[in-house]
Amino acid sequence: MAGYEIDPCEKCEEVMQPYLDRVLSDAEVAEAEHHLASCAYCARRYRFEESLRRFVRKCCDEQMPPELKQKLAALRTPL
Amino acid sequence: MAETGEQEARRVATEARNRVRFEEEALALADQVYRVARRLVSTREEAEDLVQETYARAFRSWRSFTPGTNLRAWLLRILTNLNIDRGRRKQRAPDEQPLEEGDYFLYNRLEQSTRDGNVDEERVVERLSQDDIVGALAGVPHDFRDVVVLVDIGDFTYQDAAQILDIPIGTVMSRLHRGRRILKRELADRTTEET
Repeated sequence: MAGYEIDPCEKCEEVMQPYLDRVLSDAEVAEAEHHLASCAYCARRYRFEESLRRFVRKCCDEQMPPELKQKLAALRTPL
Repeated sequence: MAETGEQEARRVATEARNRVRFEEEALALADQVYRVARRLVSTREEAEDLVQETYARAFRSWRSFTPGTNLRAWLLRILTNLNIDRGRRKQRAPDEQPLEEGDYFLYNRLEQSTRDGNVDEERVVERLSQDDIVGALAGVPHDFRDVVVLVDIGDFTYQDAAQILDIPIGTVMSRLHRGRRILKRELADRTTEET
């Protein structure tokens, strides 16, 4: 696994998911941000990932059929 | 000491109230439970069956839910267990190794297929359709997809996902990261030249 000093963009690609999930340590966040501030290549790919995640969520937002809601309510224990 | 008639009546009334509250809280979460279920299985019918079975079981065993804990996660745990019990794993070849590329792979592909090489990274996702996303997600093997769906669509934390699927948190993280990369590779296969 290369570090920032050997292949900074590869290292930045590796930490993208944990960075966006906010699970990196403060030191790791600082390292990533230091690189991102000077690398348009990686910064663009990070911004793309964020918009992709929003888009995936939006595309998968399928409403429950109303009949199902009624069927579930009918499963309740009668009083 | 034997319960008096009055004590028993009070106990029964309290239990009925708790049960009604449980059922109402569970039903209020049905939309969110369905949204996750829909992406865990292939068809709408399967998702509806699975959600109904989940609620039937939840209403039967409501006493085993600890009030004050995460009810949505509790319901999803029942749902994922039922889904596994249904033998969906059989559909999968045991030695299936999903193809996976790096995290920048999809963006690089989109950039290459753009005529002038000038990509707006905030808008390039619009070249993907809802069908692309849904189809690509369905192409991610179950073990990886379950985690991606719970975290990225269901908004569960790593910790919740670990409890729901009964796997260690480290496994959640590695499956999530690999699952997202597999999803992006699947999407890259679906991208076309810019028109």
